[in-house]
Amino acid sequence: MSPARDLMVVLALLGASAGVPFLGGDYWIGVGITAFMWVALTQSWSLLSGLSGYVSLGHVVFYGLGAYVVVASWEVLPIAVSLALAAGAAAVFAFATGMPVLRVRGPYFVILTFGVAELVKFVVMAAEAAAGNASRLILGTPEIETLFFLMLALAAAATVLAWGVRVSRLGHGLRAIREDEEAAETLGVPVARYKLLAFVLSACIPGAVGGAMALRNTYFEPLQAFDPMISFSMIAMAVIGGSDDLRGPVVGAACFVFLSEMLWANAPQLYMIILGLLLVIFVLFVPEGLCGRLFRSRGA
Amino acid sequence: MSLLEVRQLSMRFGGVQALERVSFTVAEGKIIGLMGANGAGKTTLFSLIAGNERPSSGEILFENQSLAGLRPDQVCRRGVARTFQVVRPFAGLTVIENVTTAALFGMRRYRDRAQARDAAAAVLQELELGDRAEALAGSLTLSGQKRLEVARALATGARLVLLDEVMAGLTPMEVEAMLLTLRTLHRTRGLTLVVIEHVMRALMQLSDEILVLHSGRLIAQGEPPAVASDPEVLRLYFGEAA
Amino acid sequence: MIETLASGQLLFAALALGATYALVALGLNLVYGTMRLLNVAHGDLVMLGGYLTYWAFALGGISPLVSLLGTAVAAALLGALAYRLLFRAMLGARRTGPRVEANSLLLFFGLSIIAQNLAALVFSPTPRGYEYLSDVLHFGNVALTGNRLAALLVAAALCLAVVLFLRWHTMGLAMRALIEHREAAAVVGVDIDRVQIASFAVGFGTAAVAGALVSMTEQVSPFMGFPFTVAAFVVIVMGGLGRLEGGIAAAFALGLIETYGVALTSTNWRSILLYGTFVALLLARPQGLFGRRAVMR
Ligand SMILES: Nc1ncnc2c1ncn2[C@@H]1O[C@H](COP(=O)(O)OP(=O)(O)O)[C@@H](O)[C@H]1O
Ligand SMILES: [Mg+2]
Repeated sequence: MSPARDLMVVLALLGASAGVPFLGGDYWIGVGITAFMWVALTQSWSLLSGLSGYVSLGHVVFYGLGAYVVVASWEVLPIAVSLALAAGAAAVFAFATGMPVLRVRGPYFVILTFGVAELVKFVVMAAEAAAGNASRLILGTPEIETLFFLMLALAAAATVLAWGVRVSRLGHGLRAIREDEEAAETLGVPVARYKLLAFVLSACIPGAVGGAMALRNTYFEPLQAFDPMISFSMIAMAVIGGSDDLRGPVVGAACFVFLSEMLWANAPQLYMIILGLLLVIFVLFVPEGLCGRLFRSRGA
Repeated sequence: MSLLEVRQLSMRFGGVQALERVSFTVAEGKIIGLMGANGAGKTTLFSLIAGNERPSSGEILFENQSLAGLRPDQVCRRGVARTFQVVRPFAGLTVIENVTTAALFGMRRYRDRAQARDAAAAVLQELELGDRAEALAGSLTLSGQKRLEVARALATGARLVLLDEVMAGLTPMEVEAMLLTLRTLHRTRGLTLVVIEHVMRALMQLSDEILVLHSGRLIAQGEPPAVASDPEVLRLYFGEAA
Repeated sequence: MIETLASGQLLFAALALGATYALVALGLNLVYGTMRLLNVAHGDLVMLGGYLTYWAFALGGISPLVSLLGTAVAAALLGALAYRLLFRAMLGARRTGPRVEANSLLLFFGLSIIAQNLAALVFSPTPRGYEYLSDVLHFGNVALTGNRLAALLVAAALCLAVVLFLRWHTMGLAMRALIEHREAAAVVGVDIDRVQIASFAVGFGTAAVAGALVSMTEQVSPFMGFPFTVAAFVVIVMGGLGRLEGGIAAAFALGLIETYGVALTSTNWRSILLYGTFVALLLARPQGLFGRRAVMR
């Protein structure tokens, strides 16, 4: 399948789900928000990690920063502005940290991103404690339907962005970097610039998603907003769906949302155990993910 | 006019003096053969020219401009391409994708991806890899991967191509084929080549000029027959081999 | 303030923490050094050891210093099992080195999630502790509990034992050979498979013992492991891969940084100090645990 057809399929699916608020009740709207959130996050993660092979285990940092920005600017700025600011803050943070962080390679990059995210979490916690806030409550957030369409738009935007990168020079260069960074650079790929660009692009939408989720949860608590399990879930969804495939995040998110709706409320630990098992099984036996396995797109 | 000029180039790796004050020039359109025993510093020389490593001292000029401080991608865009002695294909990408990367990012920098792909396909034809275009690069034989190295270097559109033992490990027939290909490419594209090779006969036939490195020093240079009869070369190089 | 800092009290606390870190890092160093497998679940073995000790004490009234042996053996067996079932095939099919490293990391990460949540499911997320040797002893003006002293002594003794093992035992020599140069070790006849399984066993076993010691002085909980993994990484990066003596020195350095850092600021800063050191170290040494540069050919 061509990338353009993949894009059409994913956008058609997202478009079709826009009917949910007219058919189902609040429960289904909530499920939709969760599903779109994961599609947006995983799509953004894949843009960096699926293409370049720089596996980020700290993507929650962008989400958490976005949430923090929206909550901190609550009732100060209009929602649209603070959401844009959330995306911007995530991008700026990615830009600033990207230069040193992206010099670190392979498994060190993986644990470093995790370390950076945890460090930011504890710094935000200390800052909030110093300011006398254990958690923050925000009142008067938008209706759930509004948030549904907001999240839908973010999922669609993340998909289009990921598609745009995949079919561009940038995407081509990132794949070469994934396969052999040294060789890529010797053939003219500006590796440092491309890695940074991908890092920044993959940070924006998670920032906005974090902000939107703060509106949905109506509160902010650093331990939850920077929960490393959010990073973990992005990776697991991408690995299970297929990380170098536009449809992967949708397939992964669908599996996960189904599982989480069944288990999360009653047996959160069981849910996490199943996720862990799925990750182990896929890494061992199906490293190319469901999309790679089911709709093998390459003639190899 | 000299396309490449190397002045007093030295390189140390910790305690190893890999290159010591090496100077030479390469005239445009020539084929230069680079000889020397294992560990003589040949690959290091390529790495310095291509920007993969920074020299300890000395200067490299390409088209009379210094390459000092440039990254490998910048050197590539100036028009210098190298191959890797130990092949480094993008194993998970197809053969044509490998070569398209070079066409997109090298000196020629195609804006249009379809055009880049066409250019890559043309290069693959020249290297007799056309029928393997859609195979994963990692699945090629060694001979195929060596030719892929050459194809990628060519597809960058470089004017100077540095070939590091692209015939090593090939059967005599494959060596003949590669020699023929290189000659054709040199003629039709007006390339300048620097060729590292251990297959002596092949190198003598191919080159306009030979450089001999020994323990990091340039001990001889000149036309093939002159180098082949140089007493120091005979003693150090052929003497050892005989 | 100055008095607190100058007292033997803090120094002792730093030593005790350092000894624990040294023990945890030893095992990680072995597994990473011999196989290039970055075990992010390493800290969860500390958690596991802590729980085993807790339950042995709570249900059977068995002294932690006795159950330690059983804990070590159980964890060592688990390590051997994990190697056999999950990692041997992956290491055998080692064609794309970096990808094996990244994949093994995801694998360990999955295992870590499973271990933590399994512990939370079975043992409940509530932290658990017990009282053992909790009488206060006085040495000059230093007051400390017996369990802390015992933990420090056992950790130090075990570190020493592992160092001696690596220095003098044939298997220890083989492990160091593998750490230094994998291919060369194979060429001189080292049975790589056996060394790898032994590394897993020793690595898992020492981490679990560290957990047993931690449980004597602190509460155990399902999610207590990761900071130990991070501390162990810091220690290895500071001390050098395969440099076990360097690692022990680095562990005490980290113990000092953390203890004095917290004393100078507040407990809120403990994690910031730990992760801050970790991030700063990796940024300062982007090649990770090797100072070596990629060989370009
Ligand atoms: N990255 C490196 N680090 C340390 N030493 C190196 C490195 N690259 C090459 N060397 C050393 O430099 C010398 C020249 O190596 P090389 O250029 O590969 O020789 P050749 O290609 O002529 O066989 C050798 O002694 C080699 O061991
Ligand atoms: Mg060489």
